Amino acid sequence: MTVRLGYTILYVADVEATVSFYEAAFGLRRKFIHESNLYAEMETGPTTLSFAGEAMAETNGLAIRANRKSDLAAGFELALVFPDPHDAYRKAVAAGASPVKPPENKPWGQIVGYVRDLNGCLVEIASAMPD
Amino acid sequence: MTLSARYLELGLAADVSDEVEAVWTSVSDRAGSYRVLPDGRCDIILRFDAGQKPINSATVVITGPVTRFYDVAIEPGMGFAGVRIRPGRFESVLGFEPTELANANLIGPDAVSACPGLEALCAPARDQTELVARLTAFVRQRATASRFRPAPLARSVISAFHASGGRLRISEVAEMHGLSERTVQRLVVKATGLTPKAFAAVLQFHRALRLLRDHRLSPAAAALEAGFSDQAHMSRVIRRMGGFSPARLADVTLVSLLD
Repeated sequence: MTVRLGYTILYVADVEATVSFYEAAFGLRRKFIHESNLYAEMETGPTTLSFAGEAMAETNGLAIRANRKSDLAAGFELALVFPDPHDAYRKAVAAGASPVKPPENKPWGQIVGYVRDLNGCLVEIASAMPD
Repeated sequence: MTLSARYLELGLAADVSDEVEAVWTSVSDRAGSYRVLPDGRCDIILRFDAGQKPINSATVVITGPVTRFYDVAIEPGMGFAGVRIRPGRFESVLGFEPTELANANLIGPDAVSACPGLEALCAPARDQTELVARLTAFVRQRATASRFRPAPLARSVISAFHASGGRLRISEVAEMHGLSERTVQRLVVKATGLTPKAFAAVLQFHRALRLLRDHRLSPAAAALEAGFSDQAHMSRVIRRMGGFSPARLADVTLVSLLD
């Protein structure tokens, strides 16, 4: 059996607020929020995007640098693929995402822009790779 | 020295709230002492004779935030029921700031004179369950009635210290929130009664214990992951804050801390 990427889990200060933000800013849909408000999953196809409360990191025995909007961004990004990245970028910023770089055409045919989410995590707004 | 009595955290979701981090009970089964480790928290505790039914009276104790261990003398059959107050909620529940109780406890009449509302908790009770219900109702009612509200930023700042296992410096937490170090200092002292440095040291101490005991890391690996400069540094801190050598960790009771 081969390994597959199952989940991307972001530790966040407020799980519920993050789910609402990802719905409003990127048009993703929530799969569920656990009643503890410490864990949620989004509808993102075969690789699940999850949010876990910072208290969960501690419960899991981890120590992390919390993601904060006013901090330097951590060294990773989420890349979300949209049919129209220009429109997606405008909507994200209108919903409160911090603009970082408006979408531009890449030599390999993709359109790519960057914002930061409500917690300061980098989110790439891209078109699909051309076939 | 007894490091653990029978300590039990009650997993009653209904009792855990914005104000209460944990509800716990403990009945000692021997004479000796119970070692309390610094956890950066304040508890309201009712001490009673667990052999009595109904319980004639209880003594109320407020424990302040400590940075070093202390030992409590216990006798067989001595019962304790406690609520651990979340950071930032002490003032709304008890009416004074936790810093006034740093490295100190208030027992019986001293606790009641600091917070007269506590007296009603000590009245006769059917059993331990009634004492626990009284404690949690008291905390909820006081927090609801209080005009004091914790600063929302304090929660984010405390959570950042927690999530890092005490590894972030004040300067880093200040910078990541766009605040001055002075503001972070003020928020943390107000919420916990400890300076950010002392609060972070307590969190780092707790994480080191968990890495050693629960994750079964080697001392060298635990020291690295917990952010100590080396194993000797970690051992010194464990001795100073916990009063025991890392090799004796197996008997220690660790409370669960969430932010």
